[in-house]
Amino acid sequence: MTEASRQLLEDCGVDSDRLSLEWASAAEAPRFVELITGYVSKIRDKGPLGSSDGEVSRDTIKRRLAAAVKAAGARKPRTLLGNLAKKLSKSGDYSKEAIANGVKAKVLPAMRSERISHELRILLSEAPLDMKSLCTQTGASAEELEKIMAPLVKKGLISQKKGKIALVAGE
Amino acid sequence: MAKENAVEKEKEMTQEGFDPKILGFFCHWCCYAAADSAGVSRYQYPPNVRVIRVMCTGRIDARFVVEAFRCGADGVFTGG
Repeated sequence: MTEASRQLLEDCGVDSDRLSLEWASAAEAPRFVELITGYVSKIRDKGPLGSSDGEVSRDTIKRRLAAAVKAAGARKPRTLLGNLAKKLSKSGDYSKEAIANGVKAKVLPAMRSERISHELRILLSEAPLDMKSLCTQTGASAEELEKIMAPLVKKGLISQKKGKIALVAGE
Repeated sequence: MAKENAVEKEKEMTQEGFDPKILGFFCHWCCYAAADSAGVSRYQYPPNVRVIRVMCTGRIDARFVVEAFRCGADGVFTGG
C-alpha cells in the first residue's frame, strides 16, 4: 500500500519522501521521539507541499491529488495490487526491489491512467480545452491521452469537435 | 505568476519560519503506545503531528494518504 501510494504521489508530482513508514514498538518511546523529530525536521527543510525539488506547483498538485483519490479507489488498480500481493506471497520475496518493481510494472500504469482520466474531467469541467493544453496540464503524452479518452468518448462523457475537447453537458 | 508564487513561498518559509502540518497514522498497539509512553515519560518532541489512531497499519488505504495531501498535509507519517 505504501509503495503504491508513493508511486501514485510521484506520478502526481509530489515528493514521495513526504510519506514515511516507520516501526516503533510500544517499548521504544525514545526511538519514537527520534523518528518524529527527524521526520518533522526533514519536512521542515522540504518546505510546504509544492516547494520541494521536483514538485510541481501547489495548484497543479491539488488538482492531481483530487484525481488521484479517485484513482486510488478505482477497481482496476486495486485488483492489480491484490494480485501483486498474492504473487509476492507465493514467491516469498518481499524485498524492497521486488515490491517497488512489482508496483511499477503492474499497478502504476493503471493508477496513472485513472488519475489522468479523472484529471481530464476536472480540467474540462472548467472549460473546453485542446489536446496540447491537456497534455501540458496532465503531464501525459498525446498518445496516452488518446488512449484514455477513447472509452470516455465511447461512453458519451466527452466530445471532440474541431480540435476542442469538452465535457458532454448533463454529466 | 510563477514569480509571484515563488515570492510568496519564500515569504512563507523565511518570515515566520514554516511550520509543517503532518498527519500521523499510528497503530494502537505499537506506535500509539510508544507515543503515549513518550508523553508519560515527558520526552519532548515537535507538536506538528496530528494523530489518527488506527488499530493496525493494515487499516490504512492509499486513499487516506492521497486525501491527506490533498487536504493540505505537508507530510504523512505512518507508524506501525
